[in-house]
Amino acid sequence: MGRFVVRRLLASIPALFLVSLITFGLLWLVPGDPASAFLDTSATAEALERVRHELGLDRPFLVRMGEWYLRMFQGDLGTSLLLNRSVTSAIYERLPVTLSLTGMAFLVSVLIGVAAGVIAAVRHGKAADQGMMALALLGLSIPEFWLGLVLIWLVAVLLPIFPAGDYVAFSQSPYLWARHIALPTFTLACVQMGFVARMTRSSMLEVLGQDFVRTARAKGLPEPYVVLRHGLVNAMVPIVTVMGIMVGALLGGAVVTEQVFSIPGLGRLIIGAVLSRDFPVIQGGLLFLALIYLVVNLVVDLLYAVIDPRVRLG
Amino acid sequence: MKLRFLNLALAAALALGAAGPAMAQKKGGDVVIAMTNAPPSLDPHATSAQAARNVNLHIFETLYARDENARPVPDLAEGVVVSPDGLTYVFTLRKGVKFHNGKEMGPADVVASLERYRKAGASASLIAAIDSVAATGPNQVTIKLKSVQSTFLGNLSSPRAPIAIMPAEEAAKEMGKASPIGTGPYKFVEYKPDSHVKVARFDDYKPNPAYKERDGFAGAKIAYLDTVTFRFMPEAGARDAALETGQVQINETADGPTAKRLAGNPNFQVIKALPFAVQVLKFNMAQGAGADLNFRRAVAQGIDAEEMLAVAYPDIYKMDQSWVYAGSAYHTNRKLLKQDVAGAKASLAKSGYKGEKLVFIIDNIRPNIDAATVFQQQMAQIGVAVELKVADWPTTSKLGLGSDTGWNFWTHGFGIEPYEGPVSAMSHWVKGQGQRKDDPVIDGLFEKINGEMNLDAQKKIFAQFEDRMADQAIAINLGDYGLFQIATSKLKNFKAYRIPRMWGVWLE
Repeated sequence: MGRFVVRRLLASIPALFLVSLITFGLLWLVPGDPASAFLDTSATAEALERVRHELGLDRPFLVRMGEWYLRMFQGDLGTSLLLNRSVTSAIYERLPVTLSLTGMAFLVSVLIGVAAGVIAAVRHGKAADQGMMALALLGLSIPEFWLGLVLIWLVAVLLPIFPAGDYVAFSQSPYLWARHIALPTFTLACVQMGFVARMTRSSMLEVLGQDFVRTARAKGLPEPYVVLRHGLVNAMVPIVTVMGIMVGALLGGAVVTEQVFSIPGLGRLIIGAVLSRDFPVIQGGLLFLALIYLVVNLVVDLLYAVIDPRVRLG
Repeated sequence: MKLRFLNLALAAALALGAAGPAMAQKKGGDVVIAMTNAPPSLDPHATSAQAARNVNLHIFETLYARDENARPVPDLAEGVVVSPDGLTYVFTLRKGVKFHNGKEMGPADVVASLERYRKAGASASLIAAIDSVAATGPNQVTIKLKSVQSTFLGNLSSPRAPIAIMPAEEAAKEMGKASPIGTGPYKFVEYKPDSHVKVARFDDYKPNPAYKERDGFAGAKIAYLDTVTFRFMPEAGARDAALETGQVQINETADGPTAKRLAGNPNFQVIKALPFAVQVLKFNMAQGAGADLNFRRAVAQGIDAEEMLAVAYPDIYKMDQSWVYAGSAYHTNRKLLKQDVAGAKASLAKSGYKGEKLVFIIDNIRPNIDAATVFQQQMAQIGVAVELKVADWPTTSKLGLGSDTGWNFWTHGFGIEPYEGPVSAMSHWVKGQGQRKDDPVIDGLFEKINGEMNLDAQKKIFAQFEDRMADQAIAINLGDYGLFQIATSKLKNFKAYRIPRMWGVWLE
C-alpha cells in the first residue's frame, strides 16, 4: 500500500502542474487587473499605471509566471496584492473556517443521506421510500443561495433561533460556533444529502437482492444485522465513490454558502480574489483546492481496499 | 492678499455650536456597520476606494478637511496663511495632537506624509502643484507651489484617497505597507480579511477646540461609541437579515424594497443619502459613432434621463444636471434634459451613423444594467442599435478607462467628484481622459479655473464647462441618485454623509 500511496502522490504532481498552468493561462486571458480595485472611476491613466507598477503587473507575463513557479517550488505561493499578506497565510487563516463548514456538511450529508437511503431501500415501494426519495429530489433541486436566504429569513429573522450569518471559531466558543455553523451546514448539505440518499438506495437495492443476503436471512440473522452488516457494507463502494465527488462539490458549494452567510472562508477568499483580480490568491487558492481534491481521491481509493478486500492496490 | 482661514473656521464653529442639538449623549456601546465591500487597503494613501474611505477616515485625519458643505476647513491645522502671490502656504499645526501610538504629531510627520503622498499617493495629481514641503517651525509647515492653484486647499482636504497625516516612520514605508496609525477619533484594533475591520475609541483624542459639533469630515469629532466594526457583507439579503436580527446596527447600502418595508418600523431609521452620486453616460469619442457630434447630440435628445433613473434607482433619484451637488457654491440650476424623439431622429440623419450595432459596456451592478437596458430601448426608438456587454468591474473599467476601442457607451456613477467641487468634476474630462479624445475648450477652462482665485470668476468658468459638456454632448449627466441607509433607531444623531460617520453619534 505504501508504494501505491507514493506512486499516486507522484502522479498528482503533473495534475497540480496542469491546474496551475491552466489557471495562469486563464488569468492571462481574463481582462482587468487589481489596479481598478484600488482606484475609483476618475482614476487617471497615470494613476492606474503607477498602481500596476507597484503591484508588479507591468512586468511580462512569462516573467511573472516563471517567478511564481520558482517561489512555489520553495513552498511560497506569493503575496496577495490586496490583503497585504502571503497567500499561504491568507489560506491558512481561512482553512479552519471552510474545513469546519465542509466537514460538518459532509458529516450531515453522509449520516442523513445514508440513513435515508437505507430506509428507502428497506421500505422499497412503500410510502417511506416515496417520501424519502421525494425529499431527496427536493434537496437536489434547491439552489444553495436560495435555500440559504430562505433559511435566514425563516429561522433567523422571523423566528430568531439562529444567527443570520457570520462565523465564530470553535476555539472561541463551541456553543456559538455550533449556532453559527448550523444554517450554513444545512444549506450546504442539502443537495449532497439528496445525492447520497439516492445513491445509497439504488446500491442497497442491488445488494439486498443478492444471494448472500437471502442466505443470511435464511440463517435467521436479525434483519438490522442483515441490512447493515451484509447489505450496507457491501453497498458502500459506490457510496464511497460518491463521497469523494461530494468533497469537491462541497468545496464548490462553500463558495456560495460562505457568500450568503458572510463566512470568511476559502470560498469567499477566492471569490473576492477573482472579482478584484488578486492573481496570486486565485492561483494559490485554486492550487490548494486541487491538492485537497487529489488527496481526497487518494483517500477514497485507499478506502476501497479497506471496504472490499478483493480490491488490490498496487 | 492675506487670507486668514482660521477666523473663518472659528466663526463657522461658533455658529454651528449655537445651533447644536440638545440631546443627551451617552458614552459606550458597540456598533457594527454592514458594508458591501472590503477596503482594498488600510493604507489611506494607497487607495481611493469608497470602502477604504469608510474605514480610514475614522482612523486618519488631514491638515484640512471638508465641512458639511464640502468646503475646506482646518482639521489638523489651526489655520493657514497664504502669501500674496498665492504660491506659499504656511500651516500652523494644532498642538497636543497624538497619534494612536502615543507619539505627538509634529511638522516632521506632516512633511513625511505629504512627501510620500505626492510621490505615490492614489490621487497624487491632487497635490502635483507642490514644489516643496518643509518644516519651518516647531508647529509650522510651509508648502511652496510651482504655480498658483486656486483649489489647493480643496485638493489637500480631499477625502477621495485622503492625504492623511501619519507618523513619519510609517510614511517612510512603501505604498500599501503603512500601519493604520493615525490621529483620528478611533484607533485600529483588528482587520480580519473577508470578515471585518474593528476600531475602538481613542481616549487620548483631542477634538478640535475650534468647533463644538461635527462638521463634515472636520469639526469636533467626538467619539461616544466604544467600538465600531465594519463588517463586509456582499450579499444584500444577509445585510438586511443581520440588521433585522440586531447583529449589525447600520446597513450602509440597503435596497429600495427593504427601505420601504422598514420605513414604518419604529425599531429602525431609514436615511436617504441623496445625492450620493451622479449617473453619467459616457461616449467613446475616439472612434466610431461617438466621434460624430451630430450622433452624440441625437443620443442626448433621444434619451429620457428621468425614465432611466426611475428604473435604475426607484424612489432615490433627483433630476439635476449640474456636475456638482446642490448646496455647492458652484451648483447651477441647469435646464433639465427633455426627450425629443423627432429632434433626435433629425440629428441622427445628419450624422454618419449607418445603423451599425454599438457596444454599451456596463459593470454587473444592477442599477447600471437597468439604466443601460432602458437606454437600449430608448435608442431603438430613434433607430440606434445598442448591444449591452456586461462584465465585472475590473473588466469594464479596464476597457473604459484604458482603451479607445471595443466600446461606444459606458454608464457609471460619479460619487466623490461632484462632492469635491468643480475641479474634481472637470478633471475627468481633461486631456480626453473620460471621453478618450481631447477637448481643447475643456482643457483650457480647467487650466483657467485652477489659476483663478476669485469665487465669482470660478463660478463663471464652471458654468462655461457645463455648457460645453452639454453643447458638445461630451458626456450626459443623467441626474443624481442616492443610497438608502438603515440604522437601528437606538443610534442617535446619525446623519447620512459621504461615509457613515461614527463620531457625534451614540447609542441610547
